[in-house]
Amino acid sequence: MNRIDPDFKEKLKPFGIGNWNECYHCGNCTATCPHTEEGFLFPRKGIRAVQMGLTESIHKNVDPWLCYYCGDCSESCPRDANPGELMMTLRRYLITKYDWTGFSRILYTSVPALIIAFILVAISIIGIGYTKNFNVNSIMEFGHQFELIAILSVAIIILLPNILRMLWFTLVKEKVRAPLLSYIIGFGDLILHMFTQKKTLKCEENRLQWFEHFILVLGYLILLFTTVFLNWFGTESIYVVFLGYIVGAVTFIITFLFIIRRIRKKSEISKYSHPSDWLFIVWLFLMGLSAFLVRVFIDLNIIGNHLWLYLLHLIVLAQWAVLIVPFGKWTHFLYRSFAIYIAKIKKEVLVKQRDKGIVTIVT
Amino acid sequence: MSRTLVTGVYLSHSANNHSHSIDYKDIYCFIQNVPEITKIWNSSENPLTDPEHFAKEIRKNNIERILIAAYRPGFIKPFFAKALQKAGKAAENIILADIFSGIPDGMPLNEWAKAKLICALSGIPFDISLLSEHNPAQSETLIIGGGIAGIQAALEIANSHNKVYLVEKTGTIGGHMAMFDKTFPTLDCAACILTPKMVDISQHSYIELMSYSEIKSVLGIPGNYRVEILKKARRVNVKTCTGCGTCAEKCPTSVKSEFDQGTSLRKAIYMPFPQAVPNKYLIDADSCRYVQTGKCGVCVKVCPVENCIDLDEKDQIVEVTVGNIIVATGFKPFDASRMEQYGYGKYPNVITSLELERLVNAAGPTGGNIVLRSQDKKGNWIFDTDSPQPKSLALIHCIGSRDENYNRYCSRVCCMYSLKLAHLIGDKIPEAEVFEYYIDMRAYGKGYEEFYKRIEEEGVHIIRGKTAKIDEKNNRLLLRTEDIENDRILEQSVDMIVLAVGLEPGSDTDKLSSMLGISRSDDGWLEESDALSNTNQTFSGGILLAGTCQGPKDIPDSVVQASAAASSVIQSIMQKGVPKSLASIPLEDIKQKAMELSALNKD
Repeated sequence: MNRIDPDFKEKLKPFGIGNWNECYHCGNCTATCPHTEEGFLFPRKGIRAVQMGLTESIHKNVDPWLCYYCGDCSESCPRDANPGELMMTLRRYLITKYDWTGFSRILYTSVPALIIAFILVAISIIGIGYTKNFNVNSIMEFGHQFELIAILSVAIIILLPNILRMLWFTLVKEKVRAPLLSYIIGFGDLILHMFTQKKTLKCEENRLQWFEHFILVLGYLILLFTTVFLNWFGTESIYVVFLGYIVGAVTFIITFLFIIRRIRKKSEISKYSHPSDWLFIVWLFLMGLSAFLVRVFIDLNIIGNHLWLYLLHLIVLAQWAVLIVPFGKWTHFLYRSFAIYIAKIKKEVLVKQRDKGIVTIVT
Repeated sequence: MSRTLVTGVYLSHSANNHSHSIDYKDIYCFIQNVPEITKIWNSSENPLTDPEHFAKEIRKNNIERILIAAYRPGFIKPFFAKALQKAGKAAENIILADIFSGIPDGMPLNEWAKAKLICALSGIPFDISLLSEHNPAQSETLIIGGGIAGIQAALEIANSHNKVYLVEKTGTIGGHMAMFDKTFPTLDCAACILTPKMVDISQHSYIELMSYSEIKSVLGIPGNYRVEILKKARRVNVKTCTGCGTCAEKCPTSVKSEFDQGTSLRKAIYMPFPQAVPNKYLIDADSCRYVQTGKCGVCVKVCPVENCIDLDEKDQIVEVTVGNIIVATGFKPFDASRMEQYGYGKYPNVITSLELERLVNAAGPTGGNIVLRSQDKKGNWIFDTDSPQPKSLALIHCIGSRDENYNRYCSRVCCMYSLKLAHLIGDKIPEAEVFEYYIDMRAYGKGYEEFYKRIEEEGVHIIRGKTAKIDEKNNRLLLRTEDIENDRILEQSVDMIVLAVGLEPGSDTDKLSSMLGISRSDDGWLEESDALSNTNQTFSGGILLAGTCQGPKDIPDSVVQASAAASSVIQSIMQKGVPKSLASIPLEDIKQKAMELSALNKD
């Protein structure tokens, strides 16, 4: 049985603003969207759920993650009800719902809390620098280890349980029973979509954006790999240095373009920016830029005199790794891919049930 | 004498499209000087979020009643009722002053608002304060527009033995109704109702029909308007033309027929349709080879009547003097090509409802045969009577209506005419599958809901959900819609798609409204002086509205409004007076009158 939360609309407000009450349920958005199919009808049904406060329906659905926000639905909406932004808002909400620590809820809904958290991380990094007597080599040594440890602990302590929670809400609690094999086979798709986001290509408006995004994801991952596993800042290998330069530049140039777009607000996708969107894009930019500059300083052999730059880079990196990655928009990367995985399993079950006559769907 | 109540005023700073030109400070000072007003809330500093906040101030200032001065104040009345109640006062002590609506052109906005405020404060309806003098009235009436509304009004006034000038822009009267095949919900033949009335018009001794004419200027005062009418050169003598059609047979130029909505061709010399009134030919100067190049004149040569066709005829201007003017200029259908997602103009078999109306009509281009568009030898897409019939059709409702991107209003007729068309398709092609995609079914009139049920029982598939886009695939049209009631996405192939286009104000509305000094509401339609109690009068004395020029409406409603306008005209002729234009009555007089009346009330 579904319980109704009459205040849900109010509770959703910190996650995004739209005229969702305006919707008169014509279904234009659902039919416009190239991603909708049998069993996955959004955004309209999401709007219905929000209007009526059907929280369980919102928790069990992966629909918001299947939307890539081309903005077609919002553009053609006869009521200006921003269905596209609702999907984005629900993604923000679901991030906080999946997070077992409850920390992302605080960061998403309170800007002061967000600022305090970021300052605390910065102070800690400076504090660690102090304990190392601001010695370049030992700080850089620490920085390198920190990255590795941060990635591992965030993945194990936060991200993994959160993914399990997502699976719990959407599959286990819903008693979706699929053969084991489909769970295993589905993983192939998951990895494919995680790194290519190729479903975005279905949105006509988004082709260029997909390419930029793809390059950015690739750049970011290679940058991560180069700094963490190839020890970019410590290496002598000319290939690694060169590779790091390229991907560092790619990261900050593309994020710079994204920032400009969000400032200009020309397309639907960049019209509405939540603090979490700004953080994500600005910090990615800062990370790419500062990493790039640090390596330039190393090559010019002046990093010793300009330790502040490395400290700055480390602060940005730490904030990114312990705040934005586990609790912020970075999680899209995981949830989206898992949503495709979950959707595929759900769909298989749906088709099977239809064949058995349990569910009748007429087409 | 009753005690005046201590009053608080809420002054809203939003005034529809006038907001920027109103001096709120001036109104504020004016209110301040009214003795019983002890508190004024400016909307800019007092958002309507918390009734408790207002309740506190009501208690503090001991306010007994509230005056809401705003554009459409009724919308915020419940808020203040709540505030009064919370303050422990009588919630019914609220007066509404709709101070920013219906402002006639050229009226000083602030003075208008003040006059309305005074009336509201003294408890005298604004209209009553106006009931003052009348201008003496001429008995002649001008009716602009020869559609069903204009025809109805003309006949009613003429039947009371008063002279009517009926001015029609095109070559024939009849308007949009003449294009329809059947009318909803009775499925009566539209022509059977309309054409006898059209003939009546042409034969009535009290009606002077001026077809192919336009209003050039309107001067004078209510009761005595001097109107210049431009009689466009018809180039065919209406008196001697026998309507034989030999000229059109030989005319070398063909263009798309306006009457058939472009589904057929007509010649440069043409009669709009066989039952046209006047039943005479005319020459369309824009397409006539002689007028454009000076060479041709075939029609003159073949015409059996001497001196009937005068290719060099010039436009004329005639002047008439009338007491009242009825505006019945109608609507224009929404231009479906503006909604690119539906591919109108791109896919040949995506057509508008009015085009289908012509196809269904036995007197239409295909003789009532619904066919698919096909290409002729030159590659033009035409409706050929021998083309195959569509086996499946979809009708999409709300094209350009109820849509923030186009028109926000409901066009009121589309649901019903779509149902009617679905029925007519079933009549002509019984084996065809017909699908209707709607948002909400608005079957609001007498017998309409029953009609809807009937069509549903006839087997038309009526699906809730607005089609989002149309594509062409394998020579068929593919639509994608959410079937809301069945929780599924429908991707459906059909042969033909009919777009139920909404209604828009006619293209001349702008020119006409400034010529006649009547205002337009924010959706573009001509504005009546009171949306509830004065739906056919305007603020300009002696200028009345009838039919769809005032807002979308169906045939019965248009006829009703036309009759109402006719009755207002006849009333003014009997009284020998036309109310003065509001713009010409000094607002001081209105204020004075309101105060006098309220003093009478109190004694």
